[in-house]
Amino acid sequence: MGALGRVAVIIGYEWRRAIAKKKILALIILAVTFQALVMIALSQVGTGVLSPYGFGMSSLIWIIGVLEGQGLFVQLIAIIAAGGSMSEEYEHGTADILLSKPITRLEYLFGKFLGGFFLLAMVEALTTVVGIILSLLLFGAQNGLEFAPLMFLAIVYSSLVFFSLSFMCSEVFRGSTLAMLIALGVFIASIVINGILIYLPSMSDLIKVIPTWAASSFPSLVMSKLVTGFGTADTNALVQASIIIVVYAIIFVLIAAYRLVNSDVSKKTG
Amino acid sequence: MASSSVLSVSNLTKFYGNFKALDSVSFSVDKGWVYGYLGPNGAGKTTTIRTMLGLLKPNQGKVQIADANPSTDPIHALRFVGYAPELPTLQTFFTGEQLLDFMGKMFGLSMQNRKEKTKQLLDLVGLASWGNKKIGTYSKGMVQRLSVALALINDPLVLIMDEPTIGMDPEATAQFRNLFTNLSKEGKTIFISSHLLDEVQRICTHVGMISKGKIVFSGPIEQVLDTFTRQWVIEAELQNITEDIVSSLKNLDFVEDVKVEGNKLMIELKEKKDFRGEVSSEIFKQKGVLLSLNLQKITLEDAYLRALKGGQ
Repeated sequence: MGALGRVAVIIGYEWRRAIAKKKILALIILAVTFQALVMIALSQVGTGVLSPYGFGMSSLIWIIGVLEGQGLFVQLIAIIAAGGSMSEEYEHGTADILLSKPITRLEYLFGKFLGGFFLLAMVEALTTVVGIILSLLLFGAQNGLEFAPLMFLAIVYSSLVFFSLSFMCSEVFRGSTLAMLIALGVFIASIVINGILIYLPSMSDLIKVIPTWAASSFPSLVMSKLVTGFGTADTNALVQASIIIVVYAIIFVLIAAYRLVNSDVSKKTG
Repeated sequence: MASSSVLSVSNLTKFYGNFKALDSVSFSVDKGWVYGYLGPNGAGKTTTIRTMLGLLKPNQGKVQIADANPSTDPIHALRFVGYAPELPTLQTFFTGEQLLDFMGKMFGLSMQNRKEKTKQLLDLVGLASWGNKKIGTYSKGMVQRLSVALALINDPLVLIMDEPTIGMDPEATAQFRNLFTNLSKEGKTIFISSHLLDEVQRICTHVGMISKGKIVFSGPIEQVLDTFTRQWVIEAELQNITEDIVSSLKNLDFVEDVKVEGNKLMIELKEKKDFRGEVSSEIFKQKGVLLSLNLQKITLEDAYLRALKGGQ
């Protein structure tokens, strides 16, 4: 079995492990419920309330359906899914069992990362499909649905930032609660700082290095560019956001890899 | 390293902060040996095993398993190794069958092979009827049994087990002792860390003793008994013990010391020879009535305690 085969085995393992966690299932149900409630509420009050944001047309409401979950729930699921990925193996003492097998630590790390991330992508696929179905059911025929797969990919890509951050914390601190709290703290702090800096034009460049900027802007920028044509579909901002996302992800994964490769496998801590 | 050595540890040193957990630990284990690794709590047994498996990074020294270093080349070094950790905590979301199948995948076994091995191993460890149940429902002893099955999934050449029978009932302990003996007869090399000296004496061909992170002995089991037992002891049970009997025995050339314990005399010998004939003659000379006379067998426990005393 080659390196890819070993990574694939860990990916499969990580899926089973994550699916067995009830809190992730609970969050998925919560995300879909929230999505449904927002769409039902919009269908009752009318899409006119969204006109100032360029979504007055019922035929484009699927974009709201797809994006609404991305902002909060998908990031939360990313943080929770990745926060326990490495650390729970140390807490439960199962890292010893896995890493005493013929697999390199990097293969193990990438298997864990990709397994968790693919699972997150599946959750995002589910929320995307649910958003589209609700739009069709509640608002009738939709325009621009051919771009839905690209929107989905943009959402998946943007969730790399907080997934990688939480994954890194999981390996560095080797405690799930601490990892999730730190990642969640960064997420909330980013939202707050982002909210403050948005009113300070002199800080317009600084705002872009805040993790939430790239994570939340990227899907909206893709949507602006591809689907609606509304607003200022800023190509530079789109490129910047995509680069910032990948830079963050690479840095976080490299830190996690450095920690795993160069340190002892912790004994059971849970 | 000897050519037949399948597991070799040389000059292994490991610090936890300022604490030296392993101090230049060296030993080697040849093919087919059953190597018992003994030491008190905190001596460094589990640290040695975890370093051998590449789970801990040594500060100095190296480990070779099948000519590969598990730290730098786990693919080759750990391919033929089975490991059963002390008090294992297994993935509770799997059933026993699923976990065996998953571990088989990690060793690159084919689906057919995994299926066969899973059934065979569950039978072997007495968990056939529990294979389809979640591990979270298993008792400690059952988890321990499954852990041994997991260690055998890849048909390992080297089996490393850390206190494998802890948590097992006496029947299962005896069953596993037989299993390890049979595996050894099949040519497998077994490295077993245990507190159960009786168990080690029964199944091991060689022993290593560690105290405060240092190896105090490594070699054949007969050698450890010989090295760490200064004298043999004759136990004589008499109807009446008199001062004359004791002093006359003490005056014999081959007697180191005589201790009185109730109606028994514990006669410590200077040489490792059977002097029961000479002792009984002397007792009769002094008009003693001998009820029984035994040459005490030397146990691994005696040797172990002496070895640890010497190592401190």
